[in-house]
Amino acid sequence: MSRYWPVTLFQKLALVVIALGITPIALAQDAGAAPSVERIVNRANMVSYFQGRDGRARVAMSITDRQGRTRSRELTILRRDGPETDAIEGSAYRGEQKYYVYFRRPADVSQMTLLVWKHQDRDDDRWLYLPALDLVKRIAASDKRTSFVGSDFFYEDISGRSIDADSHELIETTDNYYVVRNKPKRPGEVEFAYYDVYIHKQSFLPVRTEYVDDSGNLYRRYTALAVEKVQGYPTVVKARMENLRNGGTTELTYSGIDYDLSLPEDVFSERYLRRAPREYLQ
Amino acid sequence: MSENTESSWLQFATDRPRLTVWAMVVATLALVALAALPSVWPERFGLLNPLTIDTDPENMLSSDEPVRVFHDDMKEQFSLYDMVVVGVVNESNPDGVFNVGSLRRIYELTEYASTLRWPDPDNPGRQEGVVEEDMLALSRVDNIEQEGVGSVRFSWLMPEPPDTRNQALAILERAQRIPLFDNTLVSADGKAVALYLPLTSKDMSYRVREALLDKVASWEDTGDQVYITGLPVAEDTFGVQMFYQMAISAPLAMLVIFLAMWWFFRHIRLITSAMIVAMVAAASTMALLVISGSTVHIMSSMIPVFIMPIAVLDAVHILSEFFDRYPLHRDRHRAIREVMGILFKPMLFTTLTTMAGFASLALTPIPPVQVFGIFIAIGVFLAWLCTVTFIPAYIMLMPERRLTGFGHAAGDPDQDTVMGRWLRRLGEGVVSHARAVLVVTMVVVVAAGYGISLIRINDNPVKWFEPEHPIRVADRVLNEHFGGTYMAYLALVPEGDNAAQDNQIFKRPEVLRYIARLQQRLGETGVVGKSNSVADLVKTVHRELLGGDAGAFRIPDSPAAVAQTLLTYQNGHRPQDLWHFVTPDYRRASIWVQLTSGDNRDMSRVVQALDDFIAANPPPASIQARWFGLNYINVVWQDKMVSGMAMALFGSFVVVLLLMALLFRSLLWGLLCMIPLTVTIGAIYGLIGIIGKNYDMPVAVLSALSLGLAVDYAIHFLARARATQAETGSWRRSVAPMFGEPARAITRNAIVLGVGFLPLLAAPLVPYQTVGVFIAAILLTAGLSTLLILPALVTLLQRWLFPGARRAAPNPQNQEEGVQ
Repeated sequence: MSRYWPVTLFQKLALVVIALGITPIALAQDAGAAPSVERIVNRANMVSYFQGRDGRARVAMSITDRQGRTRSRELTILRRDGPETDAIEGSAYRGEQKYYVYFRRPADVSQMTLLVWKHQDRDDDRWLYLPALDLVKRIAASDKRTSFVGSDFFYEDISGRSIDADSHELIETTDNYYVVRNKPKRPGEVEFAYYDVYIHKQSFLPVRTEYVDDSGNLYRRYTALAVEKVQGYPTVVKARMENLRNGGTTELTYSGIDYDLSLPEDVFSERYLRRAPREYLQ
Repeated sequence: MSENTESSWLQFATDRPRLTVWAMVVATLALVALAALPSVWPERFGLLNPLTIDTDPENMLSSDEPVRVFHDDMKEQFSLYDMVVVGVVNESNPDGVFNVGSLRRIYELTEYASTLRWPDPDNPGRQEGVVEEDMLALSRVDNIEQEGVGSVRFSWLMPEPPDTRNQALAILERAQRIPLFDNTLVSADGKAVALYLPLTSKDMSYRVREALLDKVASWEDTGDQVYITGLPVAEDTFGVQMFYQMAISAPLAMLVIFLAMWWFFRHIRLITSAMIVAMVAAASTMALLVISGSTVHIMSSMIPVFIMPIAVLDAVHILSEFFDRYPLHRDRHRAIREVMGILFKPMLFTTLTTMAGFASLALTPIPPVQVFGIFIAIGVFLAWLCTVTFIPAYIMLMPERRLTGFGHAAGDPDQDTVMGRWLRRLGEGVVSHARAVLVVTMVVVVAAGYGISLIRINDNPVKWFEPEHPIRVADRVLNEHFGGTYMAYLALVPEGDNAAQDNQIFKRPEVLRYIARLQQRLGETGVVGKSNSVADLVKTVHRELLGGDAGAFRIPDSPAAVAQTLLTYQNGHRPQDLWHFVTPDYRRASIWVQLTSGDNRDMSRVVQALDDFIAANPPPASIQARWFGLNYINVVWQDKMVSGMAMALFGSFVVVLLLMALLFRSLLWGLLCMIPLTVTIGAIYGLIGIIGKNYDMPVAVLSALSLGLAVDYAIHFLARARATQAETGSWRRSVAPMFGEPARAITRNAIVLGVGFLPLLAAPLVPYQTVGVFIAAILLTAGLSTLLILPALVTLLQRWLFPGARRAAPNPQNQEEGVQ
């Protein structure tokens, strides 16, 4: 693969973002001075995981291995935030968050459901419902860097890594991007030495994340492949995660995206695992 | 070959000795340069082939061999790699390795091993070495267990080294609850832990092993013993040591041959000529091998060891004859002409038969063996060419005074030496007790037949090392503690592989249960210490999902339940592990079979057990089972080698018989000539069967060697017997001369070469020892059977062998072979 490929992709993506008419949000933009790294990271975090009070998307997941063998999955993901604001000031947007994942395809796992209660200050809670065994199981999840349903994405990539877990440093500001280097505060708990995030200046969407291991090798890469504005929110509608060690790639394609649906809180409870809330799943 | 050619050749060599020597030197240097230049400066001599070394026994089969194609295909489909197995054993601590100190060291060793990668010279930008993602080690695998009521936890089995004894012991307890780890990662007694290091290619294993040994050099006094084994390590280490061995064994053999020759001839300059012939032949052959683009493989590395003695053989005949004749004339020109006159034809034919013996290896379906046979045949030819030109020239170039004192002092050589007297008595004894000799021969043949029926075909690359070699020790220790360090895999693939095949058969409960039963049967063979499959995985996750009770350790009842169980499993750290056992379309499955023995016959037993099981228990879906893995490949090439060798042996037997009939212009004489070699081969292989030595690669290849060499003595003996009979007019009167010079030459030959190969016994690699012992045994047996059986048979058959003898009218053919 050409080493210039990322640059051209970035440029394309930048054009897409501009074409969509995403207006600059950052306050310091006009002055030309970069905002503080904390502000950049917080805004990127908010844009990626907390936009709107809640949201829904249908996700087509395609997992391809080095040999080109592809497995497809289809899920619907519901999200509901605890905080009622998206304000960056005082990290007001951050708080408890709940995810409900409903499996549609392949047929033999359809109606499987997964519930995640994401906490800011302690381990997440996870429940899994296996219809074929008629079994609801609580899954202890002390480690969020495990595979999300067999894909190259980790749970943490889907629901967001706590920005308090890393120290952040703005290492570069280009025409289109802030490049932030993130180093783990507790290196023993993660497999990376650091990761660099390319955050789009206007939308604050992270469009590329590169994970580097202790030997200095890039081994994992996230790329946002397409961005659309949905209900005024810039939203990644296609993303890819590559495992450069084993050649695996997972692509997520989002469709039917809706924000601010007023999803009731009790949908995100154990009893809805067995009985999927169809009215909210489209 | 007509007499004219022979004389003109000799004429040239003796008249233009300098030119002859120069021609040989220049030709040899040119060949060596053509081989060496591209090897040393590959960029400057791109058109020529550089020296390429291939230590991979897999290449015993050609790369398009179905079993290899399938093996490579399955390795790719299931993302499997050849593995180095590292075992850490602690016998002194009551908790075994499950103590804080040992686990910390094991953790660090694992981290270190995960970094063992180097830039790949063939693929710039890529690395080769340990495949970190697929390493199996305590700190690299997922544990699945109950946590509180109704909750299940996936977590690293050993995320970091434990701080307390209880934490350490808890790791053992957890690991033993997971069938995939029990007996694979941890031993039942907790004394040992294993690391499985997959390699990008197995020829990295020597390097990885060396790096690991360096790392653990500081572990002395900790009570932890580190053992490293696995078939790739054994094969790769053998390859590396083989080249050291070549550098030691071949020269050492030369030295001993030199000393033995010195003992007989006491003339450094003359025997140097024989050594030069050997070296020129060996060097030119290896150079040709490189130039031709063939790789230097385990087999071809032995080419010099084979060529040198064969090359010396003819020279010894010449020198021996010259040694006996020179004192009679005191004229080297006349002596050498006489010697060559007598020996030219037998030497030509012994060369042709030896070549036929080796060239027959081209009939085997094993590429390295073909290369080995063909190039030795070439080397033997080169040796012959040098012998008949260079040796006479060399003798002519020596100042006459240097020859003073060479050879037997005046007098009858037959009476002057111990050997001479002994041989004379032997000759008389054999002729007067001809019938007794044949009876004894018959007894030997019968015993040999019985022995051959006992022959056990078996090989094991790990056993190529001596019992106390670290790799053998590691092999023993680790296979005592674990389910086995030898890997074979059983692929279950759709019958006929058609696209219409029912999809996702390996989610079907009845298919998974069948796999579990099949594994159980494999476990009952006594060789399979452990096997792992998707069925084990499903059962383990199912048990933990249902609360961890042993009763839940089973395959759930619907394909959907299986799929959901596996999807749950794939939420862990290593979702890719599933694809080692089943392909993502669930149409193919692979069972990882760990064997405690690398013996091919043990693998064959497992294969047989599986065949029987499948015959008695047809699979519930239309699937067929096919083996792959290094252990299985070894079995396949062994089978091919055995049948191939039988073919080669038969082919060369026929060729040699035809050559003999041609040489003697008589089928009877030809058959007679074949008898000593038949007895020799029978006796050697009978002995192998009786002492219980495995019929392995070196032993198989030696059959061709014994055929080629054993016939030599018979040719020399019979050719001379016919010539002598023609001279004396009667066999009775020929016996004494026959047991003079000719018998001495044969005896010297057998002793010089037999002794010459004994240094191979000092080699730490068993195949070299085998070759050493068996060449010595072959030469001695062939010499002995020639000197005993042939005169006895000639005595009894003389009426048919010498039909015109009584009239004492030599026919023109006899004339031709006679002394001029």
